[in-house]
Amino acid sequence: MVGVSDHSPANPAATEAPPRRSFGRFNLEIRQHISPLRQTLVLLAGLAVGLVATAIVLMAAGVTLRGIYEEFILSIFSSSMSVSAVLVQTAPLLVVGLSAVVAFRVRFWNIGIEGQMIFGSIFATFIAIHNIGPESLRLPIMFAAAAVGGMLWILIPAFLKLRLGINEIISTLLLNYVAFNFLLYLLYGPWKDPVSAFPHSEQYELVERLPALGWANLTWALPLALILAVVIWWLLNVSRFGFYARFVDSNPKMAAAVGVPIAFVTLASALLSGAISGVGGFVVSAGIEGRMTQSFFLGYTFSGILIAFLARNNPLIAILVAAFVGVLFVAGQSLQVFYQIPGAMVQLIQAIIVIAVAASEFFIRYRVHRVRGAG
Amino acid sequence: MDFLVNWVSNIPGFAVPFALAALGLILTEKSGVLSLGAEGFMLMGAMAGVGAVIVTGEPLLALVIAALATAVISLVFAALVVTLRVNQVIAGLAMVFLCQGLTSLIASLQGWSSVAIVGLADLPIPGLADIPLVGPILFQQDIVVYLTVPIFFAVQWFLQRTEVGLRLRAVGENPEAADSAGVNVALYRTGAIMAGAALVGLAGGYLSVAVAKIWVDGMAGGRGWIAIALVIFARWHPWRALLGAILFGGIEALIPRIAAVGIQVPQYFMLMTPYIATLLVMIWAAFRGSMRLDEPGALGRPHVREERR
Repeated sequence: MVGVSDHSPANPAATEAPPRRSFGRFNLEIRQHISPLRQTLVLLAGLAVGLVATAIVLMAAGVTLRGIYEEFILSIFSSSMSVSAVLVQTAPLLVVGLSAVVAFRVRFWNIGIEGQMIFGSIFATFIAIHNIGPESLRLPIMFAAAAVGGMLWILIPAFLKLRLGINEIISTLLLNYVAFNFLLYLLYGPWKDPVSAFPHSEQYELVERLPALGWANLTWALPLALILAVVIWWLLNVSRFGFYARFVDSNPKMAAAVGVPIAFVTLASALLSGAISGVGGFVVSAGIEGRMTQSFFLGYTFSGILIAFLARNNPLIAILVAAFVGVLFVAGQSLQVFYQIPGAMVQLIQAIIVIAVAASEFFIRYRVHRVRGAG
Repeated sequence: MDFLVNWVSNIPGFAVPFALAALGLILTEKSGVLSLGAEGFMLMGAMAGVGAVIVTGEPLLALVIAALATAVISLVFAALVVTLRVNQVIAGLAMVFLCQGLTSLIASLQGWSSVAIVGLADLPIPGLADIPLVGPILFQQDIVVYLTVPIFFAVQWFLQRTEVGLRLRAVGENPEAADSAGVNVALYRTGAIMAGAALVGLAGGYLSVAVAKIWVDGMAGGRGWIAIALVIFARWHPWRALLGAILFGGIEALIPRIAAVGIQVPQYFMLMTPYIATLLVMIWAAFRGSMRLDEPGALGRPHVREERR
């Protein structure tokens, strides 16, 4: 894959040690500056390549080009039913995207979003099952409980990272499995639905579900997520805390030297990220499903990472990206019904898009020169 | 006593996937490439292995195919982190999700999901297998178990005693110095990624072809992540990684046997133990001192010749 083929075999030194050209005939120039417009264009080009690759994969799986157009564009935007399906899906996606944004801003790789969602939902469901608090305050209590649940679940890896330097990628991820098994224990054991004996929690009462907005099947989950996005934007881009966080991200040594409380900023960001993921669990359980199921969290970790990554850690752009991923989810469901394409396709598409956009960053950071006649 | 022999004789089968995956990761990371895609690579090997058994009916050939298929998919990772210098954390995570999606998609389109296969048979060693106690534990295993220790010797010898191994480690410690000494950094890193992925894929193939004898979505169940933790615990030392793998094989082999002897622990709490044990092992390793000394110097850092450091 590296073009070292053009050096002359007549030169014995060349066969012994290849000349100093580890990427063949191409030289890289590090860009000192790139205009925001150009940067956006390169990223959009990367996105376009990802979408073309997606189309190729879909066609290989037996969907025609016409079918792709119908499922991803026509049917999504032609009926208010599917528009609302996308918006319903957007709410939890935006919330987990915000969770990832907050953590990644301080380079805390929170790969435990699903585990924190599980604990958020468990805490909220505990409030719902035991009818804690007056009915008028039930939802706010569940919301707060979910935030606390998610926060407690990230407290362990955050502590381990700050105190012992233990890699948070692995610890947050491992705790997903622990949380999942605990969820199964609850749902197959003490919290099994007493009405149907199915392994999900009993249905939340009406006061424990986010109220309907009055259009299609939208609930207050979406406005809640949007408000959260604005609050996080304010926190990260306007407040002093956000300034510190950017400082820690761009130059930790300098930040420490001028007295920024790095450990506090990192810990607070991590805890906030966990709390938001916990709220994500609450949004799915109380805003969409009306109970805690055994798979409500599936796939949200990667979608959250994807959203934060594509939105360049910007909470407001995350709204758009979350809606885009929402389209993917809804189109994926209809592909499943009409073309028997497995649900894994949605995951594959997301991975392809991340890879394409990540690859396009190369062209933002470097300018590639072709060196003629080298060798 | 029966319980003990039964348990211990099952450890090698459970330890081999951890051991081979950790060894593959060490090989890759010695070249300075942080490989977080292990969970995905294991899934790829596991799916390819089961598919190959269904198509060819040859478990041994299937293991080879598992390793090769994983090496091929790792080229995507190599292109990302070596050629395009993508952030290795992002690229590794993307590989995990790419492989999760891809394996689940291929298996369900091909109808390979949840199909029981004729897996790898045990290969008792004549004469030795009948020795009481030692026989069942050491000499009634399958061929991959017997080969694991030689593979460890081979990789250790390669890394420590060959020139290519020395260059590979140099690339991982200080790519700039290696580069100016005429070592092709991109080539060595790509090779290390592919060879490491092949071992991780073999680990995955062993998991599905020899242990589970079936493919189900996501069947690696976090073992790739545990292997990553094992490498940190072992401080990039193959033999310590093997010890860690045996420890985790022991825990996994114990889980189904606890219930069998009538100890009442809810099964879901039992199923948590490998993950909690991994965390504890990482905590223990952290208490023993900083990892930085043993970590390859350039781990996770892309090499760009034009960049001044």
